[in-house]
Amino acid sequence: MLNEERIILMTKMASYEAHEGKKNVAVGSYFRGDYVGWHVLKSIISATIAFVVVFGMYIYYDFEVFMMDIYKMDLIEFARRILSRYLWTVGIYAVISYVVYTVRYMKAVKSLKLYYMNLRKLAGMYKI
Amino acid sequence: MTGLLVAKQILMTLYSKYEVYITPLLKFLLALVSLLLINSRIGYMDSIDKMTVVLIVSLMCSFMPMNFIVVVAAVFIMLHLYAFNLICTIVVGVGFLLMFLVYLRFSPKDTLVVLLTPICFLLRIPYVIPLVMGLVGTPVSAVSIACGAVVYYMLHFVTQNVSSILAMVDEEMTVKFKYVVDGVLNNREMVITIAAFAVTVILVYLIRRLSIDYAWTIAMAAGVVVNIMVLLVGDLMFDTNVALLEVILGNILSLFVAAVLQFFVFNVDYSRTEKVQFEDDEYYYYVKAVPKISVSRPEKKVKQINSQKNRTSSKTRSTH
Repeated sequence: MLNEERIILMTKMASYEAHEGKKNVAVGSYFRGDYVGWHVLKSIISATIAFVVVFGMYIYYDFEVFMMDIYKMDLIEFARRILSRYLWTVGIYAVISYVVYTVRYMKAVKSLKLYYMNLRKLAGMYKI
Repeated sequence: MTGLLVAKQILMTLYSKYEVYITPLLKFLLALVSLLLINSRIGYMDSIDKMTVVLIVSLMCSFMPMNFIVVVAAVFIMLHLYAFNLICTIVVGVGFLLMFLVYLRFSPKDTLVVLLTPICFLLRIPYVIPLVMGLVGTPVSAVSIACGAVVYYMLHFVTQNVSSILAMVDEEMTVKFKYVVDGVLNNREMVITIAAFAVTVILVYLIRRLSIDYAWTIAMAAGVVVNIMVLLVGDLMFDTNVALLEVILGNILSLFVAAVLQFFVFNVDYSRTEKVQFEDDEYYYYVKAVPKISVSRPEKKVKQINSQKNRTSSKTRSTH
């Protein structure tokens, strides 16, 4: 005899596993620190590449002026200024990434909790 | 109204029944339209400016994830620009790279908006995007729309200045580079449009989330008004030569599109709103439940009426 309630629950869970659940299970397999840390690290690398590209464009934009001024300017001061801007950019971006990935992790874990609860419910239905 | 609701029901049933075929078909059409528009605007590379190539690539896109269309469109743009001018390729390529590195890797769901925004710009209905994203998206969608607007204005600059860029053949690379970067970045119209769209998305989102009757309709109307206002104020402040009639007509058309979307996504009956109040150990709940409007499909009964001939033959058979 078919158990309608069980079939509905199984269908919902199968749909979850196929779509959102696939991603959430992957997220849930990490510890929070590992997951967020790994993504923040990737964000720092991305921000570094973006900064280098923008800096390259900035230099090339006024390349002749830059080449003329390079002998006159205080290179250490220039490097310090660029480094400070780099650190600010990467720092702010890393903080935003931290917040985004922490929220994503929490949401995924919450959703997985519900999924495992349904799984237990399903197992309970088989025992009856 | 009932007829429309029945039609909606039929469409939904059809979609759920033939989803396997309809989704690839829609992807195919989106890729086809995108690539044809790209080819028609900046078709500088002859080898990819062919219908056969576009059809094959679109067919390929129909079986791939949605974001693949965005990648293909970006590749097409880069190839065309490469055939036109190296500096333009570098500037636009850097724009794409920055968008991907800084924003798009965060929200892959919104990537499609980056493609749809320039398409709507070319179809002269860009105002649809902030309205729709305010209704079905989040305020963060404003960033995706801004990326899409930047893509459009970058390509718009190239297409509007083809002769100037070509005339700079003898100039040094840095001069050409400066000209293109200035043209792309010092575009006040782009800045005002991005600001107007961002304000619209946020406002529409905030209003449609309010617990008031007809929140979606109010949000759409407010979005259109604010969009027009910001564009006009921007025009007055920075003299961007906004075509007033085009803006108003475009916004009215967008309102119509948003109303169609509302019909499919959020069709509720406020006259049957129920307000209930209850409590548990931890909270008091003040719940407002608005029922969705739904109609059941009228069932067609096929009544078989036997012809005279059949009836007589059956009669004779029964008498025998």
